Amino acid sequence: MLALVRVLAEAAATDVQGATEEAAKNPILPTINEMFWAAVVFLLLWALMKYVLLPPITKVLAARADAIRGDLQAAEAAEAQRSTRLADYEAGLAGARAEAVGIIEQARSEGDAERRVQISAADAEVAALRSEAAAEIAAAKARARTELTSSIADIAVGAAEAVVQRPIDRAAQTALVEDYVRRSGSQN
Amino acid sequence: MILGLEFPPIQNLVEWPNWFGPEGSWYGFNKIAFINVVALVVTSLLFFIAGRSKSLVPKGAQNLVESSVDFIREGIVLETMGPEGIKYLPYLVSLFFFILITNIFEVIPFFHMPANARMAGPAVLALFTWAFYIAVGLKHQGPKYFINAVAPSGVPKALLPLVIPIEFLSTFIVRPFSLAVRLFANMLAGHILLVTFSVLCITLFTASLLAIVLPLSFAMLVGLTGFEIMVAFLQAYIFTILAAVYIGSSLHAEH
Repeated sequence: MLALVRVLAEAAATDVQGATEEAAKNPILPTINEMFWAAVVFLLLWALMKYVLLPPITKVLAARADAIRGDLQAAEAAEAQRSTRLADYEAGLAGARAEAVGIIEQARSEGDAERRVQISAADAEVAALRSEAAAEIAAAKARARTELTSSIADIAVGAAEAVVQRPIDRAAQTALVEDYVRRSGSQN
Repeated sequence: MILGLEFPPIQNLVEWPNWFGPEGSWYGFNKIAFINVVALVVTSLLFFIAGRSKSLVPKGAQNLVESSVDFIREGIVLETMGPEGIKYLPYLVSLFFFILITNIFEVIPFFHMPANARMAGPAVLALFTWAFYIAVGLKHQGPKYFINAVAPSGVPKALLPLVIPIEFLSTFIVRPFSLAVRLFANMLAGHILLVTFSVLCITLFTASLLAIVLPLSFAMLVGLTGFEIMVAFLQAYIFTILAAVYIGSSLHAEH
């Protein structure tokens, strides 16, 4: 009986030992030494990451984001400034155009007035010259007529004396000729 | 052994002897612990190099780190928690980089082992996240956090006996468990897949008659390697975004 109990106890002990060894060999179960090293290494990495490794990276990322944000704001400000300058320029350009149009209109009206004055003066001058010329012509014509009348009278009296072969009354004949010339001139 | 194909036992794929410290001791340092340390060193070096450069136009390590941090901040923290969650960025960045780098060792020559194909790493990270979001809940809502977490406002009183146990299980038990198991199972499955095709390639290389299948098997191995790189990133992203969601849910009582 005692031997049987001993055999059963040994068998049970062997089973327990086998089961324990099998559990220890089970590849799915975690082992304490690997858990220990994983925990130590991860905690170390976490601490390093929090206090040493990550801050410079986040600082650079933040600086880059700030730089980009600043550049964007500067670009927006430059764009606004450009728009303002463009509007100012366009307003100035419109003013200059209006001013130029005004100056042109004023110059044109002044030119027209000046032209009219000049034309009036020229017309007056032309009229004066024309009347002066007419007077001169009339005087020349009268002079020529006088000269022509006396010449004609002389020629006619001379011719008449040659025809009649004797001297004739020169004064009376000359008066006749001049009267004739005057009457025929008034008919033209 | 199947048709001359001898697949190693699963223990041989995931269990590594200690480099120092007796087997079974709490401080035994093995390949998995070494990968964790390398992840710490690589992450620290990357951030250190990136942090030294103040260039306005980032390049190289600075570009990689700043893009990653920006991705976590904009794509995870602000999306799930809003501006209030920015103060938790260091924890989430640590989670993301730690998981990503320990995962990526699956395809690094001479390592070929994702540290998260062992349950220890995911379990620790899930426990930390569990403690973190409970601490955040207590900080922002006080002791009422536990009541708010299990009994959302607006639920009819008659349903509370049903809702409270479900919410308790969901918030305090299932969340950390699912976080750990999802990461662990995905990485273990990927690791086993890669080992399977590697063993297949080696066996086919030595089997003259079946060598004709070798290119297919090798192409599959290459394709799966690329797939596992994507899985490594994806699992890091999923773990981090779920952690952010859980922390965000602790900031305010649910309505």
